[in-house]
Amino acid sequence: MKKTPRPSSKKTSKNLKTRVGSRPAGSPAAGDGASRKALSISHPNRASRNGASSQPVSKNPHGIPDWRLEQPDFTTVEVSKNGNVHYEVRGNLRAPAPPIRDSKYLKPEQCVELYRWMLLNRKMEQTLETLYKQSEVVGGVYFGLGQESCSCASAYALGKDDWFAPMIRNQGAQLVRGFHARDIMMQYMAKAGSPTHGKDGTSHYGDIEKRHMVSPISMLGDLIPVMAGVALGARLQGRNLAVLTWIGDGGQSTGVTHEGLNFAAVQKLGLVLIVENNLWAYSTPTEMQFAVKDLADRAIGYGIPGVIVDGTDACQVYDATYEAVQRAHRGEGASLIEAKMMRMKGHAIHDAAAYVPQELMEYWRKRDPIARFEKYLLEKKWLTPKQNEALIAEVEKEVEEERAVAEASPMPNPEDAAKGVWCEGCHEVKPKYGTPKVVKGSGKLKESEAAIHFK
Amino acid sequence: MLMSPTTYLEAIRQGIWEEMERDPAVFCIGEDIGIYGGAFKVTEGFIDRFGAARVIDTPIAESAIVGAAYGASLTGLRPVAEFQFMDFIGCAFNQIVNMVAKSHYRWSAPAPLVLRGPCGGGVHGGPFHSQNPEMPFVHTPGMKVIAPATPRDAKGLIKSAIRDNNPVLFLEHKLLYRRIKEELPETGDEIIPIGKARIARVGKDISVITYAAMVHTALEAADILAKEGIELEIVDLRTLLPLDRQAIATTVKRTNKVIILHEDTKTGGLAGEITAIINEEAFEDLDGPIVRIASLDTPVPFSPPLEKFFLPKAEDIMREARKLQAY
Repeated sequence: MKKTPRPSSKKTSKNLKTRVGSRPAGSPAAGDGASRKALSISHPNRASRNGASSQPVSKNPHGIPDWRLEQPDFTTVEVSKNGNVHYEVRGNLRAPAPPIRDSKYLKPEQCVELYRWMLLNRKMEQTLETLYKQSEVVGGVYFGLGQESCSCASAYALGKDDWFAPMIRNQGAQLVRGFHARDIMMQYMAKAGSPTHGKDGTSHYGDIEKRHMVSPISMLGDLIPVMAGVALGARLQGRNLAVLTWIGDGGQSTGVTHEGLNFAAVQKLGLVLIVENNLWAYSTPTEMQFAVKDLADRAIGYGIPGVIVDGTDACQVYDATYEAVQRAHRGEGASLIEAKMMRMKGHAIHDAAAYVPQELMEYWRKRDPIARFEKYLLEKKWLTPKQNEALIAEVEKEVEEERAVAEASPMPNPEDAAKGVWCEGCHEVKPKYGTPKVVKGSGKLKESEAAIHFK
Repeated sequence: MLMSPTTYLEAIRQGIWEEMERDPAVFCIGEDIGIYGGAFKVTEGFIDRFGAARVIDTPIAESAIVGAAYGASLTGLRPVAEFQFMDFIGCAFNQIVNMVAKSHYRWSAPAPLVLRGPCGGGVHGGPFHSQNPEMPFVHTPGMKVIAPATPRDAKGLIKSAIRDNNPVLFLEHKLLYRRIKEELPETGDEIIPIGKARIARVGKDISVITYAAMVHTALEAADILAKEGIELEIVDLRTLLPLDRQAIATTVKRTNKVIILHEDTKTGGLAGEITAIINEEAFEDLDGPIVRIASLDTPVPFSPPLEKFFLPKAEDIMREARKLQAY
């Protein structure tokens, strides 16, 4: 599959190189003013690149920019009726779906390409569901239904050399960054041909050679300091890379999320953290997960920019991520983006999500990211109905072909279970971006006679 | 040619320093390691030589330290992360056990990082500054665990650890830091291989299999027992994972009697694992019961008389050796 070139970010890498040599990591001297100026990711109301009219940007009570074109106001409460405890939703759920915000950066053909990735994301997951029902899948299946915009548009905003680390629902991001549907299918089917050769399943795979994806683990938040470390490693080698990862409304409750985000902020590392607030952490609503209204407020506590976007609006997700990526490339540090949306299936395939109030499902179904983006593209005439039909057919064909490849892969050899615990000469480890430029002082190693703890 | 005697602490300092001189991909990360030089001064002066970019002070956040070190290792660097005290490794447990150790097995990403810091008791550090946390990591496939007893081994093994393509837990016994000295070979680049034990003392009667500070306790007991005509053979394991099974089997086959000694607490300690290895490799060669000597199954107590009672002593070894000699 061919990808449209991203908006260029080449210019930015030069000044970073000079900073790396001259400034100790974490020193507050250089770039401080610049990052303070950029403390709120701006979205000025100017005409977008694709020529569309401007739409207003509001701010939340703490001054965090909110790019959404609607501010829904409802809460989920625990209610006990006749000995039955369940969730009910309170608030206005009758509002029609908002329009798509015109992108400042995406060209029409990029919007179409992004739409295609979202379609591929969804069709692949539909096929995974079929494979599961046919008992072809080992274990469960996780879906990003209703969140395809967030997965795909954010990954689409990365530069060629940037790194990312997906969460379980960011399967679309993996497709955008160069993995094939078959890779994900084979992971679920535990096949020898999967990226982990059956050693692990789901999105738990990666590639440090070409596609720069760090494998997630099941424990949430641990990837955040890891991605900060990737940016740190690259910076030591003279490169300011953006490192993108996501965390859920549930995952952001973990302690390591705080440790990682704080570390990235202190070191001014190019972490782009998208907090996917999809309202449900397995079965727990956000009201039982945190007491702030907007998770983006937390950015203030880390001294980094925060922004709120509608996670079901691909253009908003793209623009916010794109700006955060550019900040990272300029060496201005970490950014936090809260994307609000809803998980439209259970935690995994076994979970019918019966705890989610039906009217909330109805509300978010009207905000389906693909249907809305499709309507937007058709209305803009960037896509004709005929082209759309052809595109959908092409994606369906691709998924079928991918499925055939995945099904044809054998299961792994049992004895391979014993292999690969250690790297025993199978990999050469060397600096990926060239030898770190080392500046040495004149200090010599002298015997230490200083006072210490516990002699 | 030998240089003037070097402490265990200086040997580790020299090892890391020389690796940083040799390889620009090596860098240090941890709490208070920069201008302050670390709580035990292992990295004193490093920031002046290598700069703040390679001697990175962090927030108090062990999971972030390990996570960031791992992330940097994915870009081909070789981070050396310091735990101010090994007791705090528990704060980074998940990051080490689930993120780092399984990396190569799960998705073929080598994780060449060193996690180092002071462990062990005998300095009245109390329950949170005295522990020996090796066993959770010995029980973690994908890790390597090193616990040197001498300056020469400490220096040669920290170099091996830094050059290894796998995550290495490097346990420095803080009691040894400034108490023992040894003349090191002048050729600074001596490498001690990971996974190889060492005979610290040759003897024909009873094998004492041990590591870290307890090697010195065993040597103390051996000197006294020698006067009684009991010759201990002391095996210093040096690496706890992977264990040198061959060295364990060989010494048992030579002496036919064995004491396993460690400072870690007894239940679930390494002695149980070594006992099983002896069963598998040298059961027919045993002339007496396998004896375990270890710390009490309690937290490490603070007050000196309590701590002394808690830790294994030379007298414990002498008593058990005399009993074994009767078989």
